[in-house]
Amino acid sequence: MSGFTISRRTMLAGSAMLLASTAMPAPGWAQTPKRGGRLVLAADSEPRNLNPAIVASNGVFFISSKIVETLAEASFDGKDGLAPRLALSWEGAADGLSVTFKLRDGVKWHDGKPFTSADVAFSALQIWKPLQNLGRTVFKDLASVDTPDDLTAVFKFAKPTPFQLIRNALPALSSVVPKHIYEVGKIEDNPANNAPIGTGPFKFGEYKAGQYYRLTKNADYWGKDEPYLDEIIYQVLPDRTSAASALEAEEIQLAAFSAVPLADLDRISKVPGLKVISKGYEGLTYQLVVEINHRRKELADVKVRQAIAHAIDKDFVVKTVFLGYAATATGPVPKNDPQFYTADVPTYAFDVAKANALLDEAGYVRGADDNRFSLKLLPAPYFNETKQFGDYLRQALAAIGIDAQLVNNDSAAHIKAVYTDHAFDLAVGPPVFRGDPAISTTILVQSGIPDGVPFSNQGGYKNDALDALIAKASETLDTSARTDLYKEFQKEVATDLPLINVAEWSFISVARDTVGNIANNPRWAVSNWADTYLES
Amino acid sequence: MSPLRRFLRTPEAVTGAMLLAALIAMALSASLLFPGDPQAIAGPALLPPFQDWSLPLGTDRLGRDVLAELFHGARTSLAVGLAAAAAALVVGAVVGTLAGFAGGLVDEVLMRITDAFQTVPSFLLALAFVSVVGPSLGVVVIAIALGTWTGPARVARAEVLSIRERDYVAGARVIGMHPLAIAFREVLPNALPPVLAMSSVIVAAAILTEAALSFLGLGDPNRVTWGGMIAEGRAVLRTAPFLSIVPGIALVLTVLGVYLAGEGIVETTAVRRGLS
Repeated sequence: MSGFTISRRTMLAGSAMLLASTAMPAPGWAQTPKRGGRLVLAADSEPRNLNPAIVASNGVFFISSKIVETLAEASFDGKDGLAPRLALSWEGAADGLSVTFKLRDGVKWHDGKPFTSADVAFSALQIWKPLQNLGRTVFKDLASVDTPDDLTAVFKFAKPTPFQLIRNALPALSSVVPKHIYEVGKIEDNPANNAPIGTGPFKFGEYKAGQYYRLTKNADYWGKDEPYLDEIIYQVLPDRTSAASALEAEEIQLAAFSAVPLADLDRISKVPGLKVISKGYEGLTYQLVVEINHRRKELADVKVRQAIAHAIDKDFVVKTVFLGYAATATGPVPKNDPQFYTADVPTYAFDVAKANALLDEAGYVRGADDNRFSLKLLPAPYFNETKQFGDYLRQALAAIGIDAQLVNNDSAAHIKAVYTDHAFDLAVGPPVFRGDPAISTTILVQSGIPDGVPFSNQGGYKNDALDALIAKASETLDTSARTDLYKEFQKEVATDLPLINVAEWSFISVARDTVGNIANNPRWAVSNWADTYLES
Repeated sequence: MSPLRRFLRTPEAVTGAMLLAALIAMALSASLLFPGDPQAIAGPALLPPFQDWSLPLGTDRLGRDVLAELFHGARTSLAVGLAAAAAALVVGAVVGTLAGFAGGLVDEVLMRITDAFQTVPSFLLALAFVSVVGPSLGVVVIAIALGTWTGPARVARAEVLSIRERDYVAGARVIGMHPLAIAFREVLPNALPPVLAMSSVIVAAAILTEAALSFLGLGDPNRVTWGGMIAEGRAVLRTAPFLSIVPGIALVLTVLGVYLAGEGIVETTAVRRGLS
């Protein structure tokens, strides 16, 4: 059982995610990795821009995290939940104005040039801060990066910035790209965005639209004896039902990111030679959220929002929509987060009678057609589960006399309708929790965000107390004081319900038994796979 | 032999009529047999058929009664099929009559517009229209009619071209009837039979197009549709195939019924005309 350490995190994840433990064959922990081989896996989307320093999203990381590395990666047992990658150590100054990174020696770019602190400085100042979707918030006060020598980078901040935030942001936000490639011309138009050059265990091979991405082994990789695989092929299979049959036919060896539909897992777990794994996504928790347009006068009333919260049977949603592969939510931070989560918040038990009473109290009585009022409900189209929850929510609202009319849109039209045009009353969204509420969670409820910013508060909600709390937490340097502020934040959100958190879920991988070292870190599917191997 | 008798002696026509009658009965009785919202959650999710007699055809992924959905889906299919076909026939007949009767520039312009519509595959046109305007029952009807009115228009025009040379049309001109009155009172009624003969094909095609649109998620999400049911069941095709098979069979039988009954009517009336 070497390599299987029980940490608080795995325990939490295990209990929260209701692991299909009986369905999981014992992974081959004791085996020594074999070298060579080609790993073929399913890819369900084809991102055009593969530069993770610009587009920090899981769809891009899935492919490019093997090519372009970050300063640190998430880890089950490392200090602060991190393991070193391009940086060996990181130290925050007490005044919150600087963070010092010591970099790894002997690292080479795929084109043979040495990796130095100048690359880190360039990536941080020219890309993460001005261009990256998430870096824009986290690194907004980054003023300069000093490079006293080739292996030291000192981030200087104009305003005190909590070291805890920078640390939590490292796995997703700190992809380092080569300065010598990007310093000529416009960064957004650089050809390396489509054929990335990095320091990672795999080099970009080729991309055939609609067919595959091919990555090849980087023989000069800094990790000793790594990588084990010779090649990784991402077979493009946009149809979600085809991944399961491709696995059974041994055309692919791995389907990550729940490419196999949840409903098929029970059946596929019984197929000899295949294993179902629900670990390895603890750092990528998605939240099922009911977004609320507070411009609607009915929804501006907290009693109505509480009634809606009471009308949703979260256990039913977890059991029926997610088939048990999820956990019920209590607030804006998921239960499996080891740093910030608190259960000490108001909860809303499933209680239709109470919901009806609250609506009566708010003055919205049932009319002749048994309805109190009508709403437009827009379920996000990205996941099967968000659409199915939309169908469920319509029924749950009907039970309390709210007539919800579903509006279906494609992804682009949904983003425009909700986040730019505000043409919704309720929406179902799947925001991602990224290890720190300041990265992508507080913007879901903060006021003053310009129109058109996707996955942010576009419901017109404004709560001065909550805004003040968010502002205070963003400049609190002490880790425990900052954590306490975010606990208070959870309480305030759960009390006033600017949005309703229903469930949190993550993904499932299905792999052939021959694939080794799967799910050995909390962001496994989007980590570098240097130690992944194939048994012959 | 009366046309009805002749109709009843054709086994295909009788089969078609029976299927069609069953469909209409389903659509009409849906609210009586299954009052309330057919999309309401009625039991445990993914209950297989013939297990629980209160839910004879089982339940879908959210626990909705498949039989109730099937009955209410018949309503949507039939409503969309008939409405779209009626719209296509009316528009087609009017355009065809105007073009054929007026001739000259009007004919040129109308027929080139018809050509333009015909060059775009009708399903693609419907798909594009619904994606732009947004899915709802009315929009779906218009979208289907947009792609199907050209057939009736061409047939109507061809008929009108021959009818307008007849003596009684010349007679109507001589007594000073308004050209539009001649076109719609004298010519159109006589040009209609071949146009109406296309109706069964159009209704069947409209039902299929509606199902295809719903299958792609472009149907009205607030109504049960058979195409939507098939799409919904597709995610669990391997574990609960009945969710796709049941509405699939209903769709096949409906299209078959409409087509056979329509053919039967056309044939019996054609024989009558041939004899007279």
